[in-house]
Amino acid sequence: MPRVPADQYVSNVRMPEDIDRFWEETLAETAKIPLEPKVVHDPLRSTERIDVYEVFFTSLDRVRIAGWYATPRDRQGKLPGLLQVPGYNMEPPVPKAWANKGYAAFSVAPRGKLRSNRQFNPGYPGLLTYSMVDRNTYSYRGFYMDACRGVEFLLSRDEVDDDRIGVTGHSQGGGLTVSTAALRPEIKAAAAGAPYLCGYMDAIELTDAYPYQEIADYLRMNPDSRADVENTLAYFDGINLAHRITCPIIVSVGLQDSTCPPETGFAMFDAIASADKRMYAYDGHGHDANNHEHGAIVDDFLAKHLKP
Amino acid sequence: MTTLSGAEPINFDGYWQDTLAELAALPPAPEVQEIPLRSTDFATAYGVSLTSVGPYRLYAYLSIPRGEGPFPARYYLPRYGSVVDLVPQGTANSQRREHVTFAICVRGQRLADQPYAAAFPGLLTDGIDDPADYVYRGIVADCVRGAEYLANRPEVDSARIAAIGNDLAYTTAALCARVTHLVCTPALLYDTVNLARRTSAYPLEEINDHLRLHPEREEAVRHTMSYFDLRRFAPHVNATTLLMAGADGSALDAAALSPLIQAMPGDVEVHKAEHSGYKDGRFSEEWLSRSFGMAEPSLPAHWRG
Repeated sequence: MPRVPADQYVSNVRMPEDIDRFWEETLAETAKIPLEPKVVHDPLRSTERIDVYEVFFTSLDRVRIAGWYATPRDRQGKLPGLLQVPGYNMEPPVPKAWANKGYAAFSVAPRGKLRSNRQFNPGYPGLLTYSMVDRNTYSYRGFYMDACRGVEFLLSRDEVDDDRIGVTGHSQGGGLTVSTAALRPEIKAAAAGAPYLCGYMDAIELTDAYPYQEIADYLRMNPDSRADVENTLAYFDGINLAHRITCPIIVSVGLQDSTCPPETGFAMFDAIASADKRMYAYDGHGHDANNHEHGAIVDDFLAKHLKP
Repeated sequence: MTTLSGAEPINFDGYWQDTLAELAALPPAPEVQEIPLRSTDFATAYGVSLTSVGPYRLYAYLSIPRGEGPFPARYYLPRYGSVVDLVPQGTANSQRREHVTFAICVRGQRLADQPYAAAFPGLLTDGIDDPADYVYRGIVADCVRGAEYLANRPEVDSARIAAIGNDLAYTTAALCARVTHLVCTPALLYDTVNLARRTSAYPLEEINDHLRLHPEREEAVRHTMSYFDLRRFAPHVNATTLLMAGADGSALDAAALSPLIQAMPGDVEVHKAEHSGYKDGRFSEEWLSRSFGMAEPSLPAHWRG
């Protein structure tokens, strides 16, 4: 049977009535924990133009989180801050390229990533389904907070202009861009590529590829847990968080994306509350979502709103 | 056109013969354990532990179709990063219905990170000042160990064993003659020091970082990397090959790779990247299914039609 065009797909995701309360309580619980930032200059990764620092801070559950922070040496006045959020099975990059464009760029390694996995390490595969039957201990509750704490780190820096903070990422980074923009009102611009973590339960019907296949694996072994899984994931689904996004945002999808099905990207985009939103849908592209050309669009969009 | 230049290896063949001899002297001592969570009604998944040079204990994911074999095999060599997947992200899990798949975690990667947990960035330059200490010597051997193990599995069709990946797929095909097919996207081990100078992107930026801090070590680094340059492995690659070149104008486009292509004695088809994971991925899947004599390529739903 031919597939429904991606932009006409109707998601089966259910909106929990108390989703906003759940996240307000989680944010409040996180806010009670001191950030305790540690910033260490890294001469090996620094260049003539860019200073690179290793950063560590404390997040929800008092898990110590790492990141890379890069700033341009030649600057006048305060810098816009940019949070870079990582893909599912990639290492958080050293964000020199963004610093080179004039941003104070922070690349966060949420819990379970290398350097942030001493206290929490469900592994890959594994992160996606860790405690998936309980929204209060599901892996992404802390993971989302770690990304949000990255915003707090930028806000703690004297060289960063609090009114010019953005977020960007691809794949899981696209999903974290959505969740962070939804949960942190300080975000002034967001660019999400091929967003993951949107339509989790839709995705396992749309693709048999990993990482979403981890959920299908889990349900094959634990069929009786399906209702609990659906209930938990509904609180973390980008489709259900998008109504909280009010900043300018752009989203890109590849119409042949087998990793993060474009249907789920459209469903999330439709739910975004911001009037200043734009979708870039690329035919002939998979999970790359035409990064080769779309990168310049992201650059221009962030520059327009954050003014590096 | 890129030519071989800079420091020459004192004895390229001897270096690798010694490494392979060291590997051969160590029994692989496989331990195989089913992974029910990743098994399906059409394939059984296993975790495999193996010993490589060092000695060092490795881990790998093995998937075997249910039913009568032998089956063609796909050997996935790891990309640069800590995570290894059962099958690569975004590819069809249904490929496991008709193929044995094998994905190895080399030293330093997750599941093979005790006692050595690699840093990313950091792995590419670990021990790079001396070819005897360079971590990639062990990594290349790890990949050969995996190929030997896979080729010896009774479920595997020995005439259809494909190594798939970046540079490590290439070195594996060169050092293990039992690899019959190769799908390779060169990335790091090709004129590495000069390639790094053309980019500020990681992981090649690791080389620039290292030489920025230690400029006096450049000759030593060039010397070490000369043992790992794909061009020197090329005469040993007899597998039927699909070489995924960069798009025209990129650092590793077909023109830049021509010395590699010309030095390979086997059949080589070159595909120029189209800046599309879908188009390049589909081309690769269709090439492999044709080469394996399969009726249909293993495509995920969004790549069909």
